[in-house]
Amino acid sequence: MTTTDVPVSTSVAGDRRAMLMRLAPWAVIIAALFVLPQVLDDFWVSRVTGWIPLAVAALGLNLLTGYNGQISAGHGALFGLGAYAAALTINAREGNFLLGILVAAVVCFFAGIIIGLPALRIKGLYLALVTLSVATLFPDLLKQFESITGGSQGLRITSSQEYRGELQEFLVEWKAPSWSGLTDTQWKFYVLLVVAIVCFLMVRNLVNSRMGRAIVAVRDNEVAAEVNGVAVARVKVITFGLSSALAGVGGALFALKELQLSPNSFVLTISLYFLVAVVIGGPATVLGPAVGAVVYGFFNDVINQEVLPERFKPATPLILGVALILLMLVAPGGIMGLVRQFGAWLSRRRTPPPITRKASS
Amino acid sequence: MIGFQLSEFLQYGVIGVGNGALYAMVGLGLVVIYRSTGLLNFSQGEIAMFSTFVVWQLHDLGFPLPLALIAGMVAGALFGAVVFRVAVQPVGDPHTKPLAVVIVTIGLFLGVNAGAQLIWGTGDRNMPKLFGGGAVQVGDLSIAWQKIGAVAVLAVEVIVLYVVFRRTKLGLAMRAVASNPESSALSGVPVSRILLVGWGLAAALGAVAGTFAAPDRGLNSSLMLLILVYSFAAITLGGFDSLVGAVVGGLVVGVVTEVLPRYVSFLSKMPLAPAFVLILLVLLVKPEGLFGSKQVSRV
Repeated sequence: MTTTDVPVSTSVAGDRRAMLMRLAPWAVIIAALFVLPQVLDDFWVSRVTGWIPLAVAALGLNLLTGYNGQISAGHGALFGLGAYAAALTINAREGNFLLGILVAAVVCFFAGIIIGLPALRIKGLYLALVTLSVATLFPDLLKQFESITGGSQGLRITSSQEYRGELQEFLVEWKAPSWSGLTDTQWKFYVLLVVAIVCFLMVRNLVNSRMGRAIVAVRDNEVAAEVNGVAVARVKVITFGLSSALAGVGGALFALKELQLSPNSFVLTISLYFLVAVVIGGPATVLGPAVGAVVYGFFNDVINQEVLPERFKPATPLILGVALILLMLVAPGGIMGLVRQFGAWLSRRRTPPPITRKASS
Repeated sequence: MIGFQLSEFLQYGVIGVGNGALYAMVGLGLVVIYRSTGLLNFSQGEIAMFSTFVVWQLHDLGFPLPLALIAGMVAGALFGAVVFRVAVQPVGDPHTKPLAVVIVTIGLFLGVNAGAQLIWGTGDRNMPKLFGGGAVQVGDLSIAWQKIGAVAVLAVEVIVLYVVFRRTKLGLAMRAVASNPESSALSGVPVSRILLVGWGLAAALGAVAGTFAAPDRGLNSSLMLLILVYSFAAITLGGFDSLVGAVVGGLVVGVVTEVLPRYVSFLSKMPLAPAFVLILLVLLVKPEGLFGSKQVSRV
C-alpha cells in the first residue's frame, strides 16, 4: 500500500469553479465556431465547412484507435460507405438530409460490427494491414457496383423538378430559410457544425461513462480488464461499430457538403489523413480530432492553396509526414497533449501548493 | 465454362507469374524487415518507388541500365538505413507500441511519396525494360523476356539471401538478432548495425522490383501502391517470417489475381478483392501462413 498526496477541494464554491473551468474551453470553442461565418467571406466559410466531415470521421477513428487501441488504416472506406448511403437515401427520399445522416450512421454501425468481429482475432499491426487493404479495395468496389454507385461517373444528390413541363433531375441545392437571414453557404456551415457538435458531445459523454472506462481498460490491458469483469469482446466489437457509425456520419456530412461523390474521393490516402488528424490532434482526447482536422485543413486549404507556389504543391503531405514522425518521437500526445502539459505547468506556477491530506490507496 | 481456352488460360498464368515475381521481390524485403524488427513496413513500397526513380534518373543521365540499377540499389539501401535509424528505431518495439510504429511508417509513406513528386513531378516517366521488349514463343504462348528475367532475378535473390542468412557471419548475426536481440547484444553482436543492414537490404530488393514494374505500369509516385498490398497478401499467405513463403505466396497471389478476374465477371474490376480475402482468411484461420513459424504469446 502506498500513500499519495491527494488535492482536496475546500468548498462547494471551489467545486463549482472547477466545473466552470472544465466547461470554459468548450464554451469558448463553440462560441468561436458560431461567430466564424460572420467574420469570414463565403469562399472561406465553404472551405472551413469541408473540415467538419474530416473532424467527425477522425473523432470516430480516435474512439477506436486512440481510446480502444485497435488500429484502423481503413476508416476512409467506412467514410465512403456513409457518404454513398446518405446520398442514395437522400435521392430515394426526395432530399431528406437528416434521414440520410441517420441511415449512414446505422449502415456503418453494422458494417463496423461485421469488421469488428474478425478484428477480435487480428490485432495490432495485422489489423492495420487488413484495414489498409480494405481502404485500397474500396474505390474498386464502387466501380464494380456501378449500377448502384454510378461507378467512375460518380453519384449526384439530385431532386426531380419540373422544367419546361417535364420532370428532370437537378442537383440539390442548399437553401437557407428566410427567417435565419444567413447566406446559403453560412447555413450549410451551421447545419454541419451542429451535427458535428452533437457527435463530439456524445463521444465526450461516452468516454466519461462506465462504457468509456471499459474501452480504455481493454486498450491498456485486455487480461486485466477481463479479470475485472469487462466483457472484452463485446466492448471491442461495439466500439468498432460506434467508431464506424461516426465515420459514416462524417461521410454523410461530406456527401451533403459536396453533393456529388466519386470513387476518387475515397482512395487510401483519405484513411491515412484520418490517422494524421487523430495523431496530430492528440489520440485519446475528445477535442484532439477536431484540432487535428483544423491543422490538416489549414495545411491543405491555406498553405497548399494560397502560400505554396505551383511547383511545391506536393510538399504538403511531406510536411505532414515529417510532422507525424516528429510528433511520435517528441510528443506522442499530439497537440492536445502539449496543451495539457502547458496547462499543468501554468497551474503549478500560478497556484500555491494545494491543501493535501494523506490518503492510502 | 463457356469459351474456355487452355492457351488463353496459360497466357494469363504467364502474366500472373511475371507479376507474382514482383510481389515476391517486395515480399522478400518485407520478410527481411519483419524477421529482424518484427515490423510490417507500410513504407516499403514508397522507398522502393523512390529508389526506382533514382535508377531512372541515373539511366536518364546516360548510365547503362544495369549499372544504374546497381547504383539505385545502393542508394536505396542507404536511404532505407537512414530512414530506419532516424525515424523508425527511436520509436521503440513494434509489438508493445504498434500504433506508434504504424504511424511512423505511414508518415514515411506520405513523406517519401510527396518527396518523389516534388523532385520528379507527377507525370509518368518512361523506364526502359531491363531485358528488352522481345518475347519467346512456345506454341501459342508468348512469354516476354522481361518476365523470364524477373523470375530469374528473383531466383538469384533467393539464392543470395539464402547464402547470406545460412552461410555468412552477417547472416548468423541477423538470425541471432531476430530470435533474441538482448542475448545477441550480450554476446557482442552489434544489434543496431545489424538491423540497419536488414533495412538496407530490404530497400535494395525494392529497387529491383520497382525497376521491373516501372516499364509496364509507368513510373510515377503511385507505382508501388497496389504492388505493396499484393506483396502483403503474398507474405501473409507464405508466413511473415519465411523467405520461401514470400516467393511461393508472391507467385500464387500473382497468378490468382491475374487469372480469377478474367473468368469471374464479379471480380473483373477489382483484382484486389482476392488478395484481400486471402489476407483476411489466412490471418483468421492460420495466422502463421504456409511456411511461417508459429507465434506463442505469454500472458
